[in-house]
Amino acid sequence: MSDQEFEPKILGFFCNWCTYAGADLAGVSRLQYPSNIRVIRVMCSGTVSPHHVLKAFQKGADGVLIGGCHIGDCHYLRGNYMTIKRVRFLQDLLKFTGFEPGRLHLEWISAAEGPKFAQTVRDFTEKIRKMGPARLKSARAA
Amino acid sequence: MDKLRAKVRTLLSEGQVAGYLGYLIKDSHPLPHLFTPENLEEVDQAVVAPDNARYPLDKLLIPLAERYPEAAFAIQVRGCDERGLNELYKWGQLDPEKVVPVGVACTQEQADYCECPGPWASVVDYGEKCQPVAKSLRVEQVATLAEEDAFQEWLGAFKRCIKCYGCRDVCPMCFCKDCSLEHEDLMSTGQLPPDSIFQLVRAIHMAGRCIDCGLCEETCPAGIPLRVLYKKANALVKDLFDYETGSPTAGPSPWKMLGEEATLETKPM
Ligand code: SF4
Ligand code: SF4
Ligand code: FES
Repeated sequence: MSDQEFEPKILGFFCNWCTYAGADLAGVSRLQYPSNIRVIRVMCSGTVSPHHVLKAFQKGADGVLIGGCHIGDCHYLRGNYMTIKRVRFLQDLLKFTGFEPGRLHLEWISAAEGPKFAQTVRDFTEKIRKMGPARLKSARAA
Repeated sequence: MDKLRAKVRTLLSEGQVAGYLGYLIKDSHPLPHLFTPENLEEVDQAVVAPDNARYPLDKLLIPLAERYPEAAFAIQVRGCDERGLNELYKWGQLDPEKVVPVGVACTQEQADYCECPGPWASVVDYGEKCQPVAKSLRVEQVATLAEEDAFQEWLGAFKRCIKCYGCRDVCPMCFCKDCSLEHEDLMSTGQLPPDSIFQLVRAIHMAGRCIDCGLCEETCPAGIPLRVLYKKANALVKDLFDYETGSPTAGPSPWKMLGEEATLETKPM
């Protein structure tokens, strides 16, 4: 598959209260962003287990984007404190094992940040497109 | 051994503990054994586990403590085992009021083999303190690999896994009743090699919990360098959260608490 044809598969985990609402706002504002992303709505970004992220990669995701409320705005007060700890840890562990940490990204996006949502999805999709298919996916296909 | 046996004998005969979890030579094998006041003469045969014949005594203590919640038990601990006790206290699996450590200091040879930063218990009833090993060369060596090479190395190792669960079953820190490694929605079933993420999932669970006893790696029939993975996981927990796994003074586990403040920031894309 040449790079031109490669359409990345991206999985988004967005919290119900901020980022998912931000995605809604992007939608009703008719902001354009690539359709490579599939979204799983979670109540809080703090409910996303590292295992869920790894499972997504196992299932062939080329990128995983987690979105939550800004620090201080989590609707469960401190759920996203856990999110940042888990993501930073997992990124470093993925780096050590060569499992491409850059394919996992965390962004705080509020319900009012429709444009930021669209921009983040655009940027992340472009980044993953440039990276090509995930190493894990290619290795498993081989 | 005399000092250790004398301590155990006193603990048992004075009724300070209901039992001592240690080792006995049986059919010329050192095996875990529960010494009791009823069989005090057995204490004459109590030994320290030879370096290469260690068992997860902490793990054996958990069901004992569950079954006899009022009783106190003494237990033979090396540095790692005692770190294990400290974590198990934190995770509510054991009550420090009901545990009396009988401490062992490891040999230099063992400490070098383990790359152990704390090769003795807080009380030493057997052995001489040796030089701790501050840095893991095994981890450093992997860290020098280019990412693509690291990936190939690890994937190659992970592919050898036969999913025997030996690493989990021997681990003194694996106490969960439901294991996510067996969760049908999260881990594929009925295929070998297992999902490539199997060992990574385990590494996540061991971060801030593994006390680096090395039993998993010694158990693994596939020779996967599991210990390197968990040593790194703990080093990351230290770097990111300043948490020293197994230390009695480290405070609550970073995974247990949501925290009073968020000290980390997201990485730029
Ligand atoms: S070294 Fe292995 S067996 Fe020992 S605590 Fe760590 S993960 Fe468990
Ligand atoms: S002990 Fe080794 S082979 Fe067995 S499940 Fe663990 S990693 Fe796989
Ligand atoms: S509710 Fe949005 S991060 Fe917790």
